[in-house]
Amino acid sequence: MAQNASTLFEKIWDSHEVLRNGADGPSLLYVDRHMVHEVTSPQAFEGLRANSRKVRRPGLTVATMDHNVPTTPGERRLPMADQTSDLQVRTLEENCREFGIRLFGMGSPDQGIVHVIGPQLGITLPGATIVCGDSHTSTHGAFGALAFGIGTSDVEHVLASQTVWMQKPKSLEIMIRGRMSGPRAVTAKDVILYVIRKIGTDGGAGHVAEYRGEAVSDMSMEQRMTICNMSIEAGARAGLVAPDEKTFEYLRGRTYTPENYEEMVNVWEKTLRTDSKASFAKRYEIDAGRIAPQVSWGTNPGMTCDVTEAVPDPAEYGDGDKSREDSARKALQYMGLEPGTPMTEIPLDRVFIGSCTNARLEDLIEASRAVRGRKIARGVSAMVVPGSQAVKRSAEEMGLDVIFKDAGFEWRESGCSMCLGMNPDILMPGERCASTSNRNFEGRQGAGGRTHLASPVMAAAAAVNGHFVDVREMDMQDGAV
Amino acid sequence: MGGERNRNVSDNNAVTGGVIKYARDNIDTDVIIPGQYLKIHDYAELATHAMEGLDGDFHSKAKNASFIVAGRNFGCGSSREHAPIALAHSGIKAVAALSFARIFYRNAVDGAFLLPIEIGEDAYEGTGEGDVVTIDVKAGQMRNETTGRRYEIKPFSEIIGKIIEAGGLFRYGMQQKQQKQQQQQQGS
Repeated sequence: MAQNASTLFEKIWDSHEVLRNGADGPSLLYVDRHMVHEVTSPQAFEGLRANSRKVRRPGLTVATMDHNVPTTPGERRLPMADQTSDLQVRTLEENCREFGIRLFGMGSPDQGIVHVIGPQLGITLPGATIVCGDSHTSTHGAFGALAFGIGTSDVEHVLASQTVWMQKPKSLEIMIRGRMSGPRAVTAKDVILYVIRKIGTDGGAGHVAEYRGEAVSDMSMEQRMTICNMSIEAGARAGLVAPDEKTFEYLRGRTYTPENYEEMVNVWEKTLRTDSKASFAKRYEIDAGRIAPQVSWGTNPGMTCDVTEAVPDPAEYGDGDKSREDSARKALQYMGLEPGTPMTEIPLDRVFIGSCTNARLEDLIEASRAVRGRKIARGVSAMVVPGSQAVKRSAEEMGLDVIFKDAGFEWRESGCSMCLGMNPDILMPGERCASTSNRNFEGRQGAGGRTHLASPVMAAAAAVNGHFVDVREMDMQDGAV
Repeated sequence: MGGERNRNVSDNNAVTGGVIKYARDNIDTDVIIPGQYLKIHDYAELATHAMEGLDGDFHSKAKNASFIVAGRNFGCGSSREHAPIALAHSGIKAVAALSFARIFYRNAVDGAFLLPIEIGEDAYEGTGEGDVVTIDVKAGQMRNETTGRRYEIKPFSEIIGKIIEAGGLFRYGMQQKQQKQQQQQQGS
């Protein structure tokens, strides 16, 4: 092995390591971008205040409110109906004012889910270290950044020092070879669900995953974000994709794209890639051509199958692993499912198109293809929650809002919404939902709620049919879109 | 509140207490503390909702218990620090699991909320609901007082041990700074 051959992750790590504690670490890493939201930051600011500390680099810190803001048009103002949410939102406003942090507040045209607005505003950059008190920070890895979620104690540490302690993870290669069988029916969401299903919810533990291969190169930036977003669901510390011309083009001319951007691109083009002789500590290889549209049947994202399959038998799923079998049995009990039931025969109550995984413009365009000229099925209620106000405006300019509303969908303001049920958008106990979000954990979308994870086009098709269908067989019209 | 969320595990002494056992893998932060409660700033109130997504009786059980014993990948999911805080404020001193999701582990340590103890299959299988166990980090041991069996626990890495001993990341950092200053003064 060549002496200096490194993976992309190692290069970013090395260029941000301020110091290492002993030979084996942990290391203190410099943080280039810190994103803050209302739920995991109040105690961090309180800690600063209690110790008379300032924010070390307010200019590298941005904030938005996304987790508990109402998404119902007309309700996005203070005071909010929910008093505890109201307090969190006001606290973030006060903290940003006091500590000099730029805030994209509830009324801002740039408000949105933190992982949607970072790239959209040009705050996310290749080669950067990016942290946020949110596990889906891994999303930004799509730009070749090292981006990971931290807890509130670490948020306080980053606010105070612009650094974070971290034990160096190992490099993991996830090679996705070949091309998808139906490029607009099998999506990035299906790829990542399939990956998690194959490698398990802790398959990436202790590692930073680099997604490689033709299927990844072919993907748009928004699709790469979907993949990197769910890296955490495979237990990985972060996920990333080496930047290419698509990456650089995406960030050109955005509101906060640096002035010397082209100079930076010249450097990134030469440096931000894994050397051909670099070695990964672990590798997985996936054949993209084998991936069908995926639907989760259980209570973690690894409990997923092809839409053409049936709810598995726990014993078969366990395959001799008692703990795995037990988990599947408990999951089916919670989900109210019987083994052997075809995935396409499970009736749905709700459809949620939203979240930092799948609420960008392309996601809404793809979902609209299954909806145009159709009506949602009787007994189903469905909503679209755009990932940011900018996504919402763009979608409206394209007339997507009309397509969804004509079909019977609710068209909302942006926020995290029913992905995690912190605002009023929740499932009722027993309700079954097709969701484009990232987690199907018990109670995630509301106590007793049952979540089936799927892609935007799959969720949209499920809304018009009342159950999942194989979108490869569905007649979809692009119309004016 | 911010500075004193919980510092009740800042010593390396052995702790004895009852066990609440969840014989399952992938206990995620959404069941440890469901999202709707992340708005609660009062930790005692937050604690009343701990594990609500999995076990409605947890809060009352925790009055007579100090430990949770669970399977693989404990604390997977969200980065919410409310998860270890809610458990700690319910009286949980340590979670003994086959493995931990990274952010939960880190949050538990950085805030010194509770001890994340990695155990082997033997200890996991050999410990049941209601057993009384002693966790002795210094001795690297978990003793099941009910059955009389002893198990090895995975030792903390040096720095994690130090952060826990100091009572969290900030206290550790301040200690380091003070030590450095003292060394400089002695040197000059």
